[in-house]
Amino acid sequence: MKRPPMLMHVKIRGEGRGFGLWLRLFLLLPLALAAFIILSPLILIAILVFWPSGWRKRAPLIFTAAFEVLCSMRGIKVDVQGNHHCIYISAV
Amino acid sequence: MAENKKRVLEMLAQNKISTDEAYRLLSALESEGSAAEGTPKAGTAARMKSKYLRVCIVPGPEHERGGKGDRVNVRVPMTLIRAGMKFTSLLPPEARDKVNGALREKGIDFDMRNLKPEDMDELLEALSDLEVDVAGTDGETVKVFVE
Repeated sequence: MKRPPMLMHVKIRGEGRGFGLWLRLFLLLPLALAAFIILSPLILIAILVFWPSGWRKRAPLIFTAAFEVLCSMRGIKVDVQGNHHCIYISAV
Repeated sequence: MAENKKRVLEMLAQNKISTDEAYRLLSALESEGSAAEGTPKAGTAARMKSKYLRVCIVPGPEHERGGKGDRVNVRVPMTLIRAGMKFTSLLPPEARDKVNGALREKGIDFDMRNLKPEDMDELLEALSDLEVDVAGTDGETVKVFVE
């Protein structure tokens, strides 16, 4: 089953100082749902405005593709290590 | 495939071909069939196996000692590339023309409209064999590969 990344590990180290964070992305899902409910009237207006321009067909496809991109983010890793700095981002 | 075999047997029954010829034709058909079956399976297996696109950059020893170069290690899931490529088919025609124009300005003669889903699959399948290994004069290396 496709699901968006649930955790994100971020590590940043500068000149002597650094920090590491485990971002619990799954906690954002209820917030995203709440934001979607709040913004739904605006979304509805936008759909009605763009209805004649042919976006009604494309909009659901765009949402599906965007969700697929979000789900595909799982496993992404960026690791940059310099002498005095280090950046590490990983989505699980 | 079965139809071809039946046709060979019919030709043998009608004495149009000898038993030797029929045997040769049937063996040829069998080997063709196994090759045709083997290729997509192997391709699918490779596709299933390759999960990430890796980019590794290691600076040369002098640059590393001087603190100039950074070690970069990026892992991109192949599914993300696939999902990203799907987005190109959702681009509105006006945006596609703009992209084509920008590519042409850079000397890349490529039409985004020609990129079809079947081409994407083929492209991603070909990516599983990709391996780029660049070694610079100062000892820096850039590696791009699929694992």
